[in-house]
Amino acid sequence: MNLIPVVENQEIFTTDTTCPYCGVGCGVTVSQSDTHVKVSGDQEHPANAGRLCVKGSALHETIDLEGRLLQPIVDGKSSTWNSALSKVADHFRKTIEQHGPDSVAFYLSGQLLTEDYYIANKLMKGFIGSANIDTNSRLCMASAVVAHKRAFGADAVPGCYEDLEMADVLFFVGSNAAYAHPIVFQRIAKAKKQRDIKIVVLDPRRTATCDIADLHLPLKAGTDAFFYNGLLVYLADNNKLDGKFLQDHCDGFDEALKVAREQTPTVGVAASLCDVSEMDLLAAYSYFAENDRVVSVFSQGINQSSSGVDKGNALINCHLATGKIGREGATPFSITGQPNAMGGREVGGLANQLAAHMSFEPEDIEVVQSFWNATRMATKEGLKAVDLFDAVLEGKVKAIWIMGTNPVVSMPNANKIKAALEACDMVAVSDCMADTDTTRLADVVFPATTWGEKEGTVTNSERTISLQKSFAKSPGEAKHDWQIIADFAKKLGFVEEFDYQDGSQIFAEHAALSGFKSEYSHKRAFNISQYANINKSDYQRLKPTQWPITTSKNKGTKRLFEDGKFYTENGRAKFIPITARLPKVLPHPNQFVMNTGRIRDQWHTMTRTGKASRLLSHTSEPYVQIHPDDADRLGIQELDLVECTNQDNRYLGKAKISSDQRLGELFIPMHWNSVFASNSRAGALVYDVVDPLCGQPEFKHSPVNISKYISQEQGLLLTTQALEKLPTDYWSKITLDLGNAYYFSDKESQVGWSEWATDTFSEIDDWVVLNGGDGGFRTLGFVENKLRVALLVGKPQQEIAQHHWLASQLGKHIDLEQRFTLLAGAPGDSSKDPGAIVCSCFQIGVNQIKEEINNGVSTVDALGEKLKCGTNCGSCIPELSDLLVNSQ
Amino acid sequence: MKKNLVVIGNGMVTGRFLDELSKFPGHNYQITVISAESSGTYNRIMLSSVLAGDAQFPEIIQKSPEWFTENQVTLRQGEAVVHVNRASKEVVTSKGNHFSYDHLVFATGSRAATIPAANQDLNNIYPFRSVGDTQKILDHADSCASAIVVGGGFLGLEAAWGLAQRGIKVTVIHRSEYILNRQLDKTASQLLQKKLELAGLHFALGTEVEAFQGDNIVQSVKLNNGSQLNCDIAIIATGITHNAELGWQIGLGGTRAIQVDPLMQTCDPNISAIGECAEIDGQTFGLVEPLWQHAKILANKLCAPDIREVNGFLDKPIATKLKISGVQLFSVGKVNANDPSNEITLLDEKAGIYRKLIIEDQKIVGAVLYGDVRSGNWYVDLMCSKTELSNANTMLLFGQEYLAA
Repeated sequence: MNLIPVVENQEIFTTDTTCPYCGVGCGVTVSQSDTHVKVSGDQEHPANAGRLCVKGSALHETIDLEGRLLQPIVDGKSSTWNSALSKVADHFRKTIEQHGPDSVAFYLSGQLLTEDYYIANKLMKGFIGSANIDTNSRLCMASAVVAHKRAFGADAVPGCYEDLEMADVLFFVGSNAAYAHPIVFQRIAKAKKQRDIKIVVLDPRRTATCDIADLHLPLKAGTDAFFYNGLLVYLADNNKLDGKFLQDHCDGFDEALKVAREQTPTVGVAASLCDVSEMDLLAAYSYFAENDRVVSVFSQGINQSSSGVDKGNALINCHLATGKIGREGATPFSITGQPNAMGGREVGGLANQLAAHMSFEPEDIEVVQSFWNATRMATKEGLKAVDLFDAVLEGKVKAIWIMGTNPVVSMPNANKIKAALEACDMVAVSDCMADTDTTRLADVVFPATTWGEKEGTVTNSERTISLQKSFAKSPGEAKHDWQIIADFAKKLGFVEEFDYQDGSQIFAEHAALSGFKSEYSHKRAFNISQYANINKSDYQRLKPTQWPITTSKNKGTKRLFEDGKFYTENGRAKFIPITARLPKVLPHPNQFVMNTGRIRDQWHTMTRTGKASRLLSHTSEPYVQIHPDDADRLGIQELDLVECTNQDNRYLGKAKISSDQRLGELFIPMHWNSVFASNSRAGALVYDVVDPLCGQPEFKHSPVNISKYISQEQGLLLTTQALEKLPTDYWSKITLDLGNAYYFSDKESQVGWSEWATDTFSEIDDWVVLNGGDGGFRTLGFVENKLRVALLVGKPQQEIAQHHWLASQLGKHIDLEQRFTLLAGAPGDSSKDPGAIVCSCFQIGVNQIKEEINNGVSTVDALGEKLKCGTNCGSCIPELSDLLVNSQ
Repeated sequence: MKKNLVVIGNGMVTGRFLDELSKFPGHNYQITVISAESSGTYNRIMLSSVLAGDAQFPEIIQKSPEWFTENQVTLRQGEAVVHVNRASKEVVTSKGNHFSYDHLVFATGSRAATIPAANQDLNNIYPFRSVGDTQKILDHADSCASAIVVGGGFLGLEAAWGLAQRGIKVTVIHRSEYILNRQLDKTASQLLQKKLELAGLHFALGTEVEAFQGDNIVQSVKLNNGSQLNCDIAIIATGITHNAELGWQIGLGGTRAIQVDPLMQTCDPNISAIGECAEIDGQTFGLVEPLWQHAKILANKLCAPDIREVNGFLDKPIATKLKISGVQLFSVGKVNANDPSNEITLLDEKAGIYRKLIIEDQKIVGAVLYGDVRSGNWYVDLMCSKTELSNANTMLLFGQEYLAA
């Protein structure tokens, strides 16, 4: 491991920090000696109490320096901080002088820490004078933000994780928590074992979350608001409203009900609009109506929509109507995707917010201006993500700085984003990784520190602010994001305003701003003024605490709205009348509806998780999930390569045939990018239609065409090095413990593989070569008898081995007499091949599991005793169950 | 009264024939074996090992004169058959002895072929065929510094290897562009050549001997490419000539050898031929396996024609191997496909491993294995049974254990 340890002796040092992945925000305890780093769940952290999911458990496998950016790059060449910063600053200054402040922009990330976010926001909105600062949180949380503001008067999640365990009924709405928020899901699964919690999942797709569901409603994609309008009518018609709560604490119920009734007068109508059985719908409604403690966990299935705000409000309407809010086990609960989406919202790191939950109203502008001593204050909202990149493409925004995110992969219509950045005069990127789809298009790249090196706060889905702590030195010349921005601000001439010594000073300023001019505080839920004077040592001992954190609530606040008071002008919650709308772009008769989402073991665009081989062992290649009947009709078989297209964009992936999918709908993972695959960016197929209220794109509903990919040749390459690309139409990369594996296919066989191999790996002169006269080709390359390259190319009908066994031979010293047999791709005795990995934690393959089942093992627990599979993170248990069922 | 069974020749096939006969203890034959050689029945294949010093003469003797005595088989050694009178059913030997027969078996084998080069009568030029040849070569070897071997087939290479093992500088002269050209393709041949060169052998390929030169004793050879090579000894191992002349003289047919039917019978029902001197459907035989078949078929036919069905000779693909220690080589069937797209080849130059299968109409029709000969016999089985293969042809190349049934 190349990690640079902070400590140099053999003692074990432990650091309590937080996980950089999802919005659950688990505490992580890092123990390190000078040779090893281990991670485990922080027993004391309220979010996870010692548990970690598979991604978190593999954190230490992603902190090596492979692929890291270690010094500034200007125009593709190594540079110095001084000249790189000057170049960007000069360009920004000249552009602002000539074209005004709105000709420049920052695009940030929910991965940034609050302190980074705060500084970037302050610079752009207070000193450059534009609100062109948006973030990838726009892609996941913008709908919930506006829904919260409309209903509660502030962007505030009312409840806490504990409520999820205390509920009698839990709705998962557009949330595959089992994969996307594993620890919250495990907490619920554990609670359900102890007491009878009814679990209802609303999702077009049968996901792993349904494994613990009492009821799964596979509603038609995009119809959630119809479901909730129907529920509101059902509650009213069945006398299940909380009249007192409505009267004392809410406005607008009658109008909301009236509008809902126009669309969904009966359960039958609602069922038909949602395309589910009336009986199931009624069961779900009655779970909600008959129980006092109901929590609705909602996530991207609702948010990523052209009417996501309305969907959120339709859901919140039902909680308000029944008073299921502000109480133990009763709340709507928006669960965020990113570790610090909430923190970004709190500092105002969105184009339509100012700072500290304040907006662009004149009195808010004045408060912030006076607090910052701002020299050039933004006075109006800036461009939201999709509009921002459109403006880049149109040349209106002439200089952009992207921090800690990969929009060329993650944005909708991602090929347009690529074109926009290609056309832009100045693209600056700060990232910890050297090669991403976005850094490839940058003029200047700044090396940023990453998890383990940087220190600062994050806020999770239940408003808990925790400290992410550093335990390793900054590698190379990498700097913390806040330092980079502060240095840049100084280059622009704002020396005193951005003179910070460390993150604690920034955090204290942020906390002070949140409480500044408290006469406005009835509108501002976010207040952590308790920390306004925090010093460095207290900051470094910050205990996870839920905001608001004020002198009167100095231990934080578990639940909001317990007193029925909201952050609106009159303190009353608002019902929003919802006319449910279908997605904007509907499929033509032969098209499919593509849904995108996360898979279990990957995170975002894989720049971090893609480095850990075990996280790619569960799902190795980009895929397309399709219903068996659809697959049958299109002549598609399991693991066939398929091509999805719309407009001029395409996505290639392996077919996964599953009745978990609705007919006519597809699921595609969002993670793959140009570093990991040739043509597998889901974002390329997503239309850039957005919710008009919040600017969030409709990621969950893109009409696409799908067809089987007719390949003329396909194959597998394993190498100890990393290649930027392969000379084939389709390829996808899989990180191995040592090196990389690539699967590939092409519609034509035009590559002279023998020459390609010797050219590409020119340092190798010891080759074993197999030529099948019919075009099949296989070769092995050795250096000092160690396997460096294995390439297996076959014709369409020729089966190529899976990579698992061959990968285990890579880098090994191979016996000269036996080495040609490696070209078989598998050991002679097939029982030695573990098969596709099921348990990522212990690397247990399907062949091993089947062998134990054949030996008589009949339960998941027993499998765990034999092989350890499923005994760590537990996320493979559904697959173990399936294997047991299918083998008996 | 027993019938007289006379066998001409005491080579390996005769030895095997006697063994087959002994499986019928009650057979009704008085057997007489007449042999021009006088060294008992020995394993000719092992002569290469003797030359290389890996084996000694006594070790390769399969049937000593005592064996004949014990088994009541009459052995007449050092006595060539010079005539056969089919009418009177008797043979005449070089010593003037007459032996009458009820059934006569030709097992006269073959001899080294000669080449069209001048001065082959010089001393120290030997064929490499018999114990006698081998003994002569060995007698001279110690005083030789350099040798040439004419012929880059199995026998020539084995002879060259044997001499090189004795510290002699050996050059193999071969007419084709590459050695073992009947059993190997060019790639395999060159791997073998490289290996032999590393062991000290030299090669002059694509050329022939025009003349041997020297006074009484050979001192050099002149090649038709104009070059000249010095040598103290020369061995000619360019192939064989079937010893069929006697058979032809008495009217037994055949073009290359003595023609027999699949039950080994010549046109005379009282005369059979087995081994290298026999020809079936225009085919002659030089490898052990078909010779063993000959021996068994004839023994069965003579001893038990009524009680068991005698199966006739089946021409099966036979694999060939080179008897040079450390060299693994296996070749069967076709060596090169007419259409290169029917070949699957695997080459590991550093390890010195080459494997090739030729597959036509989804059946194996040839295999060349060099350096690693695993599953060679399995390929022969697949070839013999004409097994139709699936599309996983490439996997065949790795051997039986790599192809799930």
